Amino acid sequence: MNPLAVQFAGLALESPLVLASGVLGTTVASLRRVAQAGAGAVTTKSCSLAARPGHPAPCVLPWPGGLINAVGLSNPGVEAELEELAEYRRTCATPLFVSIFAGSADEFGRLARCVAAAQPDLIEVNVSCPNVESEFGAPFAADPEACGRVTHAVKENAGAVPVSIKLSAQCASLARMAVVCRQNGADALTAINTVGPGMWIDVGMGRPALSNRVGGVSGPAILPIAVRAVYEIRKAVDLPIIGTGGVSCAEDALQLIMAGADAVGVGSGVYAGGVELFGEINRGLAAFLKERGFESLAQAKGLAHREGGPDSPLAQGQGGLKPKREAP
Amino acid sequence: MNSHAMHSLPIQQVATHFAELKSFLFEQTFEAEPGQFVMLWIPGLDEKPFSVSDVRDGMIEITAKAVGPFSRALMECRPGERLGVRGPFGRGFRPRGRGLVVGGGMGIAPLRYLVHRLERDRASFRVALGARTAAEMMFLGDFSRVGAEFATDDGTLGRQSLVTGLAARLCADEAFDVIYGCGPEPMLVALKKLADERGLDCQLSLERHMKCGIGVCGSCCVDGSGICICREGPVLDKAELDRVADFGWPHRDATGARKQPTAI
Repeated sequence: MNPLAVQFAGLALESPLVLASGVLGTTVASLRRVAQAGAGAVTTKSCSLAARPGHPAPCVLPWPGGLINAVGLSNPGVEAELEELAEYRRTCATPLFVSIFAGSADEFGRLARCVAAAQPDLIEVNVSCPNVESEFGAPFAADPEACGRVTHAVKENAGAVPVSIKLSAQCASLARMAVVCRQNGADALTAINTVGPGMWIDVGMGRPALSNRVGGVSGPAILPIAVRAVYEIRKAVDLPIIGTGGVSCAEDALQLIMAGADAVGVGSGVYAGGVELFGEINRGLAAFLKERGFESLAQAKGLAHREGGPDSPLAQGQGGLKPKREAP
Repeated sequence: MNSHAMHSLPIQQVATHFAELKSFLFEQTFEAEPGQFVMLWIPGLDEKPFSVSDVRDGMIEITAKAVGPFSRALMECRPGERLGVRGPFGRGFRPRGRGLVVGGGMGIAPLRYLVHRLERDRASFRVALGARTAAEMMFLGDFSRVGAEFATDDGTLGRQSLVTGLAARLCADEAFDVIYGCGPEPMLVALKKLADERGLDCQLSLERHMKCGIGVCGSCCVDGSGICICREGPVLDKAELDRVADFGWPHRDATGARKQPTAI
């Protein structure tokens, strides 16, 4: 039995690792490559009804804490996207998550209907992109009512395809947001999107370095924010969660799992680690399970929520920490 | 700090080769191999990839031709003005054995650095270069010195033929281990065919629409294998080229849709 296999919103994933939206997700070739590298599912770059060229360069910049980006949701539009998806389906069996982005609940609904017709394994609703504010205003994920309306509109149109709402860490209450999403029919939640927006100024030039001036912050700097967000959501709802944000090794993934994530998004980590990162994290997770005597990742899920010390009854049995196996 | 992070440098020197073809020299703040590229940023306009045309005496050189809004603005830049200069990006040429260096048009720029490297390493090599007309053949002095052969569309320099014809003749007359190539994609397709026919290795520099330069956004991934040109290229070897399904085909545009290539 594969100890890394997880059930996620009714889907059987071979690994908890999910390629996060926005990274290597423009073409079927790169999605397939990430799947072959060990991802349990891959998420496309967000698509919109019409094609978008995105912001001019510089649009992705490394900084010591990770990346800052304002790619600006470039995509070929849903029609061209569906052709890529069909080709992916023909050539790769790894579950496919399709990220969608729109400017209104109504548009989200129409887009969800188009995408659902292609029967992806999951639709991820990007209501939390922080780098298109000048065009679309504050993200829906900042406002529970707006987020609820979008969730409802997508669910109305997605048919049997499960829907995950991608939340931002930046809202008054993630618990409230999660409850609103569930009440409106969300099947899962993804947390978090990039943080910010932030700004990076080139001191030599004395100007913001991104053409959009501001952009979403990702990478190791935001891992603790993602872990906290997943922890809060897990306390509030029992929906499956894709924990995403700053994962670059197996221990980072385990933090999100112990906070309550069922699956783990990997995105900016490919800058330092390449696509090989998926295989490396899988191996690290398997080694951890073996070392701790866990039979599956489910035993590690939500561990950080238990009360009491290591000898507390909650540390035993279901969802608890088994005693480390002694060498014979 | 990581040299991929934004960093700006004053232009040290501008060399005008022709009216619309100039070299820009910057203090060398990072190592760069032949075939690797840098990102030049003009604030308020754009950032574009440019191959390194030489590294010498603590300076890194970029050569650009006025073809689009960005490169036209670049032509106006003077010494002392600052540009964003990030790099090195990608994987360059990996010299091995006796090489045939083949370039066409602007693809000649990185080959000048390659030739300087091959000379430094005392490697055995020949050079074949093509341009539309004599007046567009850059670095004529550098390349003449190493016995390069030239082809032009109008016959104003060297033979009136395609550079691929020149390369085929050199391969028929002399023994090579590898073809190094940079230039228009149809030329690269012909060089790959030549290498296959002759049983030679080849290392060819490809161009795709790039955004991030660091293998994250996926804009420049080739069809088929998904090889990321900005990170694993731009120079691909024979085995990699066999896994480029869109080799010689139309490229994708900024949205990711399949389109004809556009000039920068």
